[in-house]
Amino acid sequence: MEPILVAQNLTKSYTKGSRALDNVSLKVNQGKVLVVMGPSGSGKSTLIRTFNGLETFDSGELDVLGIKVDSTHDERKIQKIRRRVGMVFQQFNLFPHLSILENITLAPINVQKRRPIEAEEYGMYLLSQMGIDSHAQKYPSQLSGGEQQRVAIARALALKPELLLFDEPTSALDPERINEVLDAMRRLAKQGMTMVVVTHEIGFAKDVSDQVLFMDSGKVIETSTPEIFFSKARHERSRKFLNQLDKN
Amino acid sequence: MLNITLNSIKISLQKLKKTLFSTLLNTIISLVIILITCLVCLNTFGWLLYNANWKVITSNLPLYAFGSFPPDEQWRPATWIISLLLLSIVTLFGPEWKWLRKNLISAWAGTVPLGLYLLYGGIGLSPISSRHWGGLTLTILLTVCSSLLSLPLGIILALCRQSSLQLIQKISSIFIDVMRAVPLIAVLFFGQLLIPLFLPVGIEVDRVWRAIFAFTLFVSAYIAEDIRGGLQSIPRNQIEAANSLGLNQYQIIRFILIPQALRIALPALTNQSIGLFQNTSLMAILGLVELLGVGRSILANPEFIGQYIEVYIWLACVYWFVCTIMAILARHLEQRLTINQANF
Repeated sequence: MEPILVAQNLTKSYTKGSRALDNVSLKVNQGKVLVVMGPSGSGKSTLIRTFNGLETFDSGELDVLGIKVDSTHDERKIQKIRRRVGMVFQQFNLFPHLSILENITLAPINVQKRRPIEAEEYGMYLLSQMGIDSHAQKYPSQLSGGEQQRVAIARALALKPELLLFDEPTSALDPERINEVLDAMRRLAKQGMTMVVVTHEIGFAKDVSDQVLFMDSGKVIETSTPEIFFSKARHERSRKFLNQLDKN
Repeated sequence: MLNITLNSIKISLQKLKKTLFSTLLNTIISLVIILITCLVCLNTFGWLLYNANWKVITSNLPLYAFGSFPPDEQWRPATWIISLLLLSIVTLFGPEWKWLRKNLISAWAGTVPLGLYLLYGGIGLSPISSRHWGGLTLTILLTVCSSLLSLPLGIILALCRQSSLQLIQKISSIFIDVMRAVPLIAVLFFGQLLIPLFLPVGIEVDRVWRAIFAFTLFVSAYIAEDIRGGLQSIPRNQIEAANSLGLNQYQIIRFILIPQALRIALPALTNQSIGLFQNTSLMAILGLVELLGVGRSILANPEFIGQYIEVYIWLACVYWFVCTIMAILARHLEQRLTINQANF
């Protein structure tokens, strides 16, 4: 079992005193799905954003796909990681001035220097996988939130990533649109994609994840399999959070 | 059909009655104003039709259009202006063929080298010095060349102003602030009078290009500020998304930031070019015989002495006409860019 992502003692503070990340260590193996849960402000987003260099950290070590990064945040190594790691954001972050297909082919053509025709073919294939190939020539604002998020997933997949990061991918969606995105993510997991997912979707975490990591105020409270976490979580804090989620 | 029109006339008459003639005082005020308006109109039209001597316009039409361009060669600037007009018409009313719409931008860009070639001459055409350029042709040339050059310069300045390198950021800030603090006419004087002094002996830049240079410097500072506004209104998550896809700094600027900033700044940019078109008339003071310059030189001719009103009314009409075309084209462009993107 090859580890894809190893984090050791990641620590980061935005302001003195309060820690966004407090000694976070974790490991994700090839083909596994790690779900990160926790109340808002617990540092989940900060954590997942350090994995592809969108956030720096103050101390600790990160090993992504064999590329080792430390607090010096070496730009060249970060670029290498970004070429092999895809990311999906809460707010989709599609490029509004580009058509759906252009959104997807931008990076393959310019970062990986693939031929435009080839990139477009693969882009169309990804869109059909996501069930939105009929929208290829439209612009992001003409699509619903769920459709936009599926485009964002296709865009992240276009670079043929070895690791996919999801930062609350369904939090900005209407309730009835959430499932179309979750289904797409389920299919990806089944195909053996290694994923780290920050989410509050318990159903998804139960079905798909291999591990659940629970965070609070920058610390990892517990890391368990979903079976254990959702039935008999080891820590009082986790149980309290799950109760709260159930109530909502 | 007729009924509907009659009805709507009735309604508007009632409205008129309500608003203009509701009380005695209102009625008196309305009547006085209507009387004055009628008299002014009567006088104006009477003057326009009977007293004005339009010969000062009609007999000098080629002069207004082309300045002192040699008469045998005037077909050249004429071709250019007509091609610009045709292109405008095609852009506005042309068919929605995809290949046509795609190539329109290149066609517009191509009008600049075409114009320069037709005016300068060279291969196949007899060369004509820029001293002979004038009239509307020169006005349009100044506008087109200056806006085309100041756009990239403005983009570069805007980017430099956002740069993390202190030196670059300071230099561009100072340049922008100085240009915005100095009146245009001063910059134009600088271009016409001082640049020849600064240049080493033997190098000469002709007056038209010195003017274009000065306009470019001035306008680019304003364009830089417009584009900076555009850049600042792009949400940060656009850059993060581009980062996460592995695009480098240059690619993010080229593919994500500039296209979006330009779209946001477009209304302001078209304002700049319309303003620029009108400001080229300042060059008349500095001795270029552009549209207003032609008017002044005609007025200096003993044959037409004193016919200011005719000439200036005519010039106002020409400026109005060209500006209107520019404004319509700009609105058309804005609409095209927003059809696809409701959020913009």
